[in-house]
Amino acid sequence: MAELAELDRAYAAIMGQVVETGTAPHFTALAKMIDVDIAAAKDITHELVGMTPGWVHPGTDYLASFPPFNMQPTHYDVTIDGQGGWYAQCGFEALAIRWLVPGKQVRIDAPCLCCGEPISVEMLDDDIDSISPEEAVGYTAQAVGGAAEDRPFR
Amino acid sequence: MNLFRSEEHARNWDGFEAAMERTLLPVSRWAEIFSNPFFRERGRSDYISFTRSEAGQAAFVALRSSMP
Repeated sequence: MAELAELDRAYAAIMGQVVETGTAPHFTALAKMIDVDIAAAKDITHELVGMTPGWVHPGTDYLASFPPFNMQPTHYDVTIDGQGGWYAQCGFEALAIRWLVPGKQVRIDAPCLCCGEPISVEMLDDDIDSISPEEAVGYTAQAVGGAAEDRPFR
Repeated sequence: MNLFRSEEHARNWDGFEAAMERTLLPVSRWAEIFSNPFFRERGRSDYISFTRSEAGQAAFVALRSSMP
């Protein structure tokens, strides 16, 4: 198990890259970013996935989800200050992206899973500027967070 | 954990489970739940330490109690 200070540095390094680029570093890159050996960086990646809760692509060491973002495209398109390129892990985590980009406008666009028609939410820090349509709802058929083995499939 | 255009749309979704209908809430309410410090503090350089601190644990307890 990694030391707390290493986990802090790794989490911040991964999240910083995800916020900046929409991609997560491979563990070999993470090793250089936080100055640990490659095996340690791989272990830390898996350790953080269990805590956050995100996931690696099943059977691999590749970060697929680092909440609130998803590296693998989802139907939750994220635009930050007019620039696209990010995806949210789920509809609920999409609503938490604003906390990672203070002072920036966050827009979520998603098709309704029932009819395919658009849903959008615009947020800036504490303000929810618009929800379209106004009667839009959130719903989950599983416990929030969910069992680790089910996460990639929720 | 998905968004729908309305409660009716969520209920008509083929993945809808009546046993979890308590989670059917306005987007604004989910936005409030996801404003807990557990989410707000993710930009900290010591976020994992925060989650294990007294403040972080209190936030997690508050988060669990706010979940439907």
